[in-house]
Amino acid sequence: MKAKLIGLIVLILVIAGAVGYTYYQKNSRTEQISGYVGGEKIGLLEDEEVKKILRSKYHLTVNYYKAGSLDMVTADKTGKDYLFPSSQTALELYEEKFGKPEKSEIILNTPIVIYTHKAVADALTQQGIVSSSGDVSYVDMQKLLACIENDTKWEDIGLSQLYGTVSIGTTDPTKSNSGNMFAGLIANTLAGGTADADNIDAALPEIKQIFSRLGYMETSSADIFSQFLKMGMGAKPMIAGYESQLLEFAYEHPDDWKELKDDIVMLYPNPTVWSSHVYIALDDTGTKGIDALLDPDIQKLAWEKHGFRTGVSTDKMDVNKFDVPGVLQQVDRVSPMPDAGTMMKIIETLSQ
Amino acid sequence: MRGNMGKKRHVLRNVLALLLAAACMLVTACGSSGQKGTGTSSRAGAQVIGSGGETLRILSGSENKELEPLLEECAKKNHVTLEMYYKGSLDIMHILETDSSSYDAVWPANSLWLNIGDKKHVVKHTESISVTPVVLGMKKSLAESLGFTDREVSVQDILDAVTDGKFTFCMTSATQSNSGASAYIGFLYALLGNPDMITEESLDDSELQKELTALFSGVERSSGSSDWLKDMFLKGNYDAMFNYECLVLDANEQLTKEGKEPLYIIYPYDGLSIADSPLGYIDNGHSDKETAFLKVQKYLLSDDAQDAIQKTGRRTGYSGVSEENKSIFKEEWGAQPDRVLSPFRMPDENTLMKCLDLYQTSLRKPSFNVYCIDYSGSMRGEGHDQMTAALEQLFIQKNAEENLLQAAANEVNIVIPFNANVLEELQSTGPEKLENIYYALSDLSPGGGTNMYAALMQGLAVMEQETDLDQYSPAFILLTDGESETDDKDKFLTMYDKYGKDIPIFSIMYGDADSSQLKELADHTNARVFDGRDDLTGAFRSVRGYS
Repeated sequence: MKAKLIGLIVLILVIAGAVGYTYYQKNSRTEQISGYVGGEKIGLLEDEEVKKILRSKYHLTVNYYKAGSLDMVTADKTGKDYLFPSSQTALELYEEKFGKPEKSEIILNTPIVIYTHKAVADALTQQGIVSSSGDVSYVDMQKLLACIENDTKWEDIGLSQLYGTVSIGTTDPTKSNSGNMFAGLIANTLAGGTADADNIDAALPEIKQIFSRLGYMETSSADIFSQFLKMGMGAKPMIAGYESQLLEFAYEHPDDWKELKDDIVMLYPNPTVWSSHVYIALDDTGTKGIDALLDPDIQKLAWEKHGFRTGVSTDKMDVNKFDVPGVLQQVDRVSPMPDAGTMMKIIETLSQ
Repeated sequence: MRGNMGKKRHVLRNVLALLLAAACMLVTACGSSGQKGTGTSSRAGAQVIGSGGETLRILSGSENKELEPLLEECAKKNHVTLEMYYKGSLDIMHILETDSSSYDAVWPANSLWLNIGDKKHVVKHTESISVTPVVLGMKKSLAESLGFTDREVSVQDILDAVTDGKFTFCMTSATQSNSGASAYIGFLYALLGNPDMITEESLDDSELQKELTALFSGVERSSGSSDWLKDMFLKGNYDAMFNYECLVLDANEQLTKEGKEPLYIIYPYDGLSIADSPLGYIDNGHSDKETAFLKVQKYLLSDDAQDAIQKTGRRTGYSGVSEENKSIFKEEWGAQPDRVLSPFRMPDENTLMKCLDLYQTSLRKPSFNVYCIDYSGSMRGEGHDQMTAALEQLFIQKNAEENLLQAAANEVNIVIPFNANVLEELQSTGPEKLENIYYALSDLSPGGGTNMYAALMQGLAVMEQETDLDQYSPAFILLTDGESETDDKDKFLTMYDKYGKDIPIFSIMYGDADSSQLKELADHTNARVFDGRDDLTGAFRSVRGYS
């Protein structure tokens, strides 16, 4: 009898367990969405806190493949639910090729900046190319471009330890966004305002000349940034990047940042351009990513841990929370990016 | 009501599924524990490190061989097995471009090749593990006599000394290995008068091509990968090599241990390039492997591992070489751990590929290959089939081109099929006739005994007749299962030694291969034995890089 009772109890337990398991499974069933992401946002998508919110609140796992913002528009999109490039240009190109996407939304913003090392910043200050206001450093793009176009050697501006001519490393403007936006910024500088269909033709040869001497260019903003930090001043004296990259690095790697802090300088082009990280949903499943990523808690994490300026209201966006000197509290001096047609012209010229 | 029934059935199904899953788990658990302890059994072509846990198949530059002790620690601590497939960085690029599905990670010398190869966007989590520049390591007394030890040296200074016959050097193949490609691009800049950027048009200059051809004719020995170049250098008696700073330091440790003259490190100020050793994950959709990969990467980037890596002569971390480790970068060897490494800029992808094509087809010292191919009875069946398939990859130029292995216009190929006797002697200069040789070979079928020494003697006789052999890179490539009669062995070795030239005898073994005879020949001639049983085509690629 006793054995029978135990048997019954075991049976009940097994059934209860199974029912519980099914219930648990049903409730925790997460949907996986898959797509292409610009490298600079991987830190955000890999953030455990972000993943947790996506899972528990939105039942989503966001799987990603790293690709350049422009590359992803033409890449094979089989099995992909979304694209998450870093600019409106990518969206405009998408629309031109494939029509309106299922849905799209700007999720994050960050300005384009130039990163350099202290010795280089000092030399550029001597040349009157870099100036400071408080602890914020600005770069005069017009003067910097003149310096590049005149074939100025590093040693001409007092940096004999560096080989070659003054240049700014960027990602490939025909493939990746930070390089592309920097090309847009150069076009704006040469046009003396926002470059457009009327004035771009005159600027194209100069843009071509500036980029052709860079030779091989990285295709990922994340890669070029980590090389900049790791390979030292000689390898990458100056690069174009996103403001968010340094803020994120300083937050995520405080020990490494301590070693680097005295050497790394962030320069704001005056005016600069906004990189608007827009999420493009390719299908119905993909649209779920938009609501999830716009969640106030995720947006808060995006600023506090990854340095993206978001919908978080400005008074809550205290730059002093980052252990990075010279971050603008508010980025006011911004010119709009040239429109997609103009950017296409630049891309075509640089692809030749 | 019906819905309820459905639910019940659902529950039942779940119970069954649970039981089934449990049973499966038991079975797999048994399976994996049964495999435990066999961690040393290597997959062909791979160096297996550690045992048990998740297995990561890593496509790696050969320079990472030096890190094996650390990788063993890493495998043990993280309970993973690391299968290291050592290849040149450009070979790794090629695999990424075509099919990387049988690998879980890449670790080439330079992220350049990773990025060019990753057209399918399958690589993620890429992090640089360490940094080392490509330098010229030169016998110290020679460097002193050339005045290279007390001033900044340009690539042109180096090239002038080569042209003046002051020294010869070794480098890896520019179409297979990052260090060779980097050195080559450095030469191009110098000979073009250090322009801002190398352009495709500038490569067409016939004067430039003539200068480069002259330069490469001074290359003493070539190799398909950097670590093997170092090994070869240590065994031979050469003046200098272009290689990674870390491998020159490693070579010096060994040279001084043997009481030999160390190399002096020269950093050409206008011809430096930096290898950033990126380790990336290949996403084939296995999340367990991804977790294991991230653990391994995290381990390698930990403070302790980074310090251990720095102790092998690589530059790690953000603030340079630590005071404690400066003693490894010895000043008397010319090492400059605090030097700002300011590299030249690599040309864009199209131009770069054109540079490499040019090297492969017309610039490098033409090879003088003697292929001795085993058609004995023991080759019958699979061995013969594999070999024919591999020869098709090498000799049919359309295939060879895809692997940057196409024959140069002026290279010489002698093909000697043999069994107990030499069967034929087929010769071709340039690419076209090579295809005819392939078709001629297709008519042969295996049979009879094996005497590889007879074939080697025949080949050596051909080389002896060639009056301009110094204009070529001569090499034997022996394809056999390695079990030969030995009656002619001493006769051949006497003949080889008497001839007195530095001609490597490479072997690719297949079938029921026995490597002992082949290894003896390789040791005697400073060459290598490759295992072609798993990947004959890959072995060919390796051999061709060395010759």
